[in-house]
Formats: sequence, structure tokens, C-alpha cells
Amino acid sequence: MRRAASVAAALLALVVGGTTQAAGAAGPAASGAAGTHTVVMENLRFMPETIEIRRGDTVVWVNRDLVPHTATAQGRFDSGNVAPQASWKHVFASAGTLPYICRYHPTMKGQVIVR
Amino acid sequence: MSRLVRTLAATIVSALAATSAFAQGAAPNDAQIAGIVVAANQVDIDAGKLAEQRASSADVKAFGKQMVTDHTAVNKSAVDLANKLKLKPEDSDTAQSLKKGGTDNVANLKTLKGAAFDKAYVDHEVAYHQAVIDALDKTLVPNAKNAELKALLEKARPAFVAHLEHAKSLQSKLGGK
Repeated sequence: MRRAASVAAALLALVVGGTTQAAGAAGPAASGAAGTHTVVMENLRFMPETIEIRRGDTVVWVNRDLVPHTATAQGRFDSGNVAPQASWKHVFASAGTLPYICRYHPTMKGQVIVR
Repeated sequence: MSRLVRTLAATIVSALAATSAFAQGAAPNDAQIAGIVVAANQVDIDAGKLAEQRASSADVKAFGKQMVTDHTAVNKSAVDLANKLKLKPEDSDTAQSLKKGGTDNVANLKTLKGAAFDKAYVDHEVAYHQAVIDALDKTLVPNAKNAELKALLEKARPAFVAHLEHAKSLQSKLGGK
């Protein structure tokens, strides 16, 4: 079972990775161009919990749980409802450290560090 | 009144504990497991809807709303998977007693108001989620034959654990045990 789950996870990672690469092909190989990063919402956690990015980069939150989540930094960004299997993305224009939570499950915590 | 709550909570706990009776003789089959999952979620959706309307504390109201959202989402995944696997959720004694426990709990909650409602609802949620987690670990997950069904049960677990922790923190705020 664990194996089936990890195979599934690996397949998903491939799909997600593929998407990122496709987005990458459009730009960020050249230095200074914007990149795309993925944060997975799974097992009621943000993974990775801390993500470091550069100004202008995009972060995509992908919900792999059975229940809906949000990515919310009060006054800075708020995904609203992210349904299971759905995703939400946000472009970070200015530098700073932004702690955020899931409004539905406040024990879920993460932070985005924009350099 | 709190004695009644405890009795009702005990009914649910024993309904779920009855799933371990399967373990000794006939283990629940996948169709019965699907039926138990659907019944268990529905019980908490019904109680959550009532709490959304009747709870007096904003925190308890919000928790009730969250239970409706999360358990509806888990049920949707369970029903979608059952359809995909052509698995018709099957009734069982466990599913029956879960439904009965849920109906009794809602009937009891409807007689309560204000802080008494909040406390009874939250106490029940703590007992209910603990019982569901135990049933998942001891009976449902070990007996699920289909790999996707087993994976779904395992995937639902962290949400139930988060609900239990949330309910316990509300319980201590409300001055429960």
C-alpha cells in the first residue's frame, strides 16, 4: 500500500515537475527571469513549509488532500477556497518574509521568503 | 444532561468499536467499509449543520461549519471512488448503529441551547473523532482489500486527527474535562 501510494506520489511529482518545466521552458533558464515553485498541501501540511523565492517568481499551491484548504497571509495574499485536486498561484512582486496559514485548519503553517 | 451526552458518545464509540467485532470473525468487506465511511461522515455532517445554526460561541459555529465542509469533501471522494470501483456501499450493523448514534445525538442537541449546546456538541465531537481514528487504525485500514480504498482511508486520517485536536482545544476553552 505504502508502495502504491509512493508510486502515485512519484507519478504526481512527475506531472507537477513536468508542468514546472513546461513553465520553465517559457523563461527562467536565463538568469533573472521569473521561476515557478510548487507548494503541496497534503496531510494537512504545506510542503515545503518554508519556500525561498526571488521577486517576480510564482508560487503554485496544489491541494492533494481530500479536504479544501487555503493559503492565507492576512493582508498580503489569500487563495480563497482551494478544492481537493485544485491549485492556486500567486506572483510575489516585493521582497519580504510572509508567514501564512490555512484559514480552515490553522495548525497548517508555512512561509514564503521573497529575496 | 451531561450524563446523557456521555451515554450518546458511548453509543457512537461502541458502534465504531463494534467494527472490531468484524476482526474476530468476518472482517468487513470493501463494500461494508465504504458504507461505514459514508455513514460516519454523514453523522458528523448532520451534527455540524446543527452547530452552524445553533451554537452560541463563534468558535463552535465555525468548527461546525468546518466539519460540514471537510466531511462532505471526504464523502465525495469516498463515493467517487466507490463508483469508479463499482463498489456499492453496503449496510452493516456498524453502519446502522453509527446512524442511530448520530440521530440520537442530533435529537439530544436539539433539546439544548446556549453554552449547554456548545459543550454537548464539542464533547461529542471529541469522542466521535477519537472513535473514528481508532476504527480506521484497527479495523477499516487493515481490512480494506482494494489498494485505492485503503489509500483513501489513510489519506482521510490526518483530517480526522486535526479535527480531534481542534475539538479538544475547544473543549478546554469551554471548560470541559
